[in-house]
Amino acid sequence: MHLGMVIDLKRCVGCQACTIACKAENGTPPEVLFTKVLEQVAGEYPIVKKKFIPILCNHCDDAPCVRVCPTGATTKREDGIVLVDHKKCIGCRACYVACPYKNRIFLKRGSLKNGYFGKELTPFEKVKYPKWQEGVVLKCTFCVERVDQGLDPSCVQTCPADARIFGDLSNPESKVSRLIRQRGGFQPLSEDNTEPSVYYIE
Amino acid sequence: MAKTTPLVGKEFVSGFRLQTEWATLIAAAFFFGKIGSGLFLMSLFINSWVGALVGLLIVLIGKGGAHLLYLGRPERFWRGLTKPGTSWVARGFWAMMIMMVSGTIYLFSPIGSTASSVFAVIAGISAFVVAIYDGFLMNSSPSIPLWNTAMMPVLCLFYSLLGGTTLTLFLIEFGFAEVAVETIFLSNMEIVLLLTNLIIMILYLLSMANATAAAKESLRLLVRGTFALPFYVLALGIGLVFTLLMSYFVGTHGGAGVVGLITAADLVGHYFLFYLLLRVGVYKPVLGQLTM
Repeated sequence: MHLGMVIDLKRCVGCQACTIACKAENGTPPEVLFTKVLEQVAGEYPIVKKKFIPILCNHCDDAPCVRVCPTGATTKREDGIVLVDHKKCIGCRACYVACPYKNRIFLKRGSLKNGYFGKELTPFEKVKYPKWQEGVVLKCTFCVERVDQGLDPSCVQTCPADARIFGDLSNPESKVSRLIRQRGGFQPLSEDNTEPSVYYIE
Repeated sequence: MAKTTPLVGKEFVSGFRLQTEWATLIAAAFFFGKIGSGLFLMSLFINSWVGALVGLLIVLIGKGGAHLLYLGRPERFWRGLTKPGTSWVARGFWAMMIMMVSGTIYLFSPIGSTASSVFAVIAGISAFVVAIYDGFLMNSSPSIPLWNTAMMPVLCLFYSLLGGTTLTLFLIEFGFAEVAVETIFLSNMEIVLLLTNLIIMILYLLSMANATAAAKESLRLLVRGTFALPFYVLALGIGLVFTLLMSYFVGTHGGAGVVGLITAADLVGHYFLFYLLLRVGVYKPVLGQLTM
């Protein structure tokens, strides 16, 4: 099995529901976003084109982050999901720099103290924050806890436009494989030969 | 409206993104690693015990200290030795450890003994790796096209040798070291290395002018953008041109004061060149440029 995602750029409306769903699911601290939607504009008034590009960790098959990690904290599971073991990470940020997509986040010291509202953590933050560690690198996990239960990642489930599709890339009959085949799915920065597991279709 | 790909920060806009994580402390670690290992290599070559000791201390305290200060979890630093098979960080860490151990044994072995010769070779090889591994580290990843070039290890090697030569002259001139070669030889070697570094840097920047869009954006930031002033004044002006002119026209004849000035100028230029190369590193936009 090789889990991956297809993002339909024609369907994305840039609502950032995936961004919020990811934060709610993972309870990430301030300034930590595992996914977000970028805007891209071309042309000049009155002929203007605007595109929304959802980005997240691409869980690359030949991930530079796995290669450069000096501790083995970043690993790839058999199903292709790339994870960071926070107990092994030393915070050298070699993976952060090596990721061509800049989809890793370093959790600075003190990030977990104040939460979003300053003086003290909310009950939600008190429940969610213990799983994070300061001084290490974080990234999208494809909502591995949900995937292990047979569910889709939170961003996929939330997307109101069905712009994100999750599935098994190694199965030619899966929806993701068919979409890639039929609509010419392409990988971001394919020239870097990282073999991302996230494809875009237009 | 965006005609070209913009340089963006934290906003949710697609464009070139600046590398922000590796800056002051990593530049310091690279700097101390290069000058320390360069000094150690030069000291092996000219048989300077004090120079070798100072080189080891610069690497241990300067480079090691900067890395420890930078790490998010310094208490787990030993885990950085785990994966030398694929990681240049781990390889550099191993090289540094081997250099420290073998260098120390070399220093305290009887002069001319077998142990001294064997450990001098081991320490020399590991010092060579320490001098150039950050070039391979930066070169190994495709994420930042400015660094993703085979010229990076070459630049590191020659800056390391230049730093080593300058510090050796400084130690000699201030009476800290006695060496087996003529000072004029080292002085001429410094001029050659300064010229070589100047040529390599120009070639490196020229190669970036013909590279990918992200590399060109990095180059624009370095030579015409936010970082142009420190680049021209500190890295190029003080670090190479001033040092070259002073070394050529005055050099060691000017006495300890001039050598001290040349050393300070060289080290300032060395630090800022690599600091600026780290700071102007730019990531490519995820899906390239949007066209109409």
